Amino acid sequence: MPLFCRKNLTPLQRRTMGLMSAAIILTILTNLTIPGLPNPLVDVFPGLARLTTPNGHSPVLLAGVLSAVSLLPILLAVWAAARYLKSEPDEFIRALVVRALLWGFAITMAGNTVAGVLMNIYARPFPLAILNADLFFVSTGFAFRLIQWSYR
Amino acid sequence: MKNSLPDLRAERDWSQGDLAEKLGVSRQSVNAIETGKFDPSLPLAFKLARLFKQPIEAIFSEK
Repeated sequence: MPLFCRKNLTPLQRRTMGLMSAAIILTILTNLTIPGLPNPLVDVFPGLARLTTPNGHSPVLLAGVLSAVSLLPILLAVWAAARYLKSEPDEFIRALVVRALLWGFAITMAGNTVAGVLMNIYARPFPLAILNADLFFVSTGFAFRLIQWSYR
Repeated sequence: MKNSLPDLRAERDWSQGDLAEKLGVSRQSVNAIETGKFDPSLPLAFKLARLFKQPIEAIFSEK
């Protein structure tokens, strides 16, 4: 049976998965606060667009709050990962998780670099740069499954 | 690193899951150690040595 399958999770892994799920949900919610991204909430409630971008620009204070809010899921995920790695007694699983996290960081940084180059070339914002948390969670998850598969 | 864990386990009629439970690790960890894909830390190697009542060098050897 594969690791991190719901049936054979330890209480520590279950708690960490819960925290990571909360970070992912928080990421999705904070994505909805980013002006300029396709936002189904704005389609349903057009008034929200005026709240985040009155006159086409976000007020400085609101922009600061929105950027700080987008940091929350990343801080939560890093805290949950650090807490898990500190407490996980199985060194093999710890090694797998560390490698998956490193791949997640590497892919996110690579994506950011590519986005940065594209932004420079085309002189316009590229949404990947503000979807770091999404990219990190997806790439870490895929990396974990691939690394786990490589040990079969 | 080579190891004699499968033989030691077979002598006692233990499955990988049984050994994992005695060591307090996952079955995947035992499998990775047995196949030489993962080298255990010193504390885990000592735990194995105590469990099988053998010196570490009798269980693990360099390839």
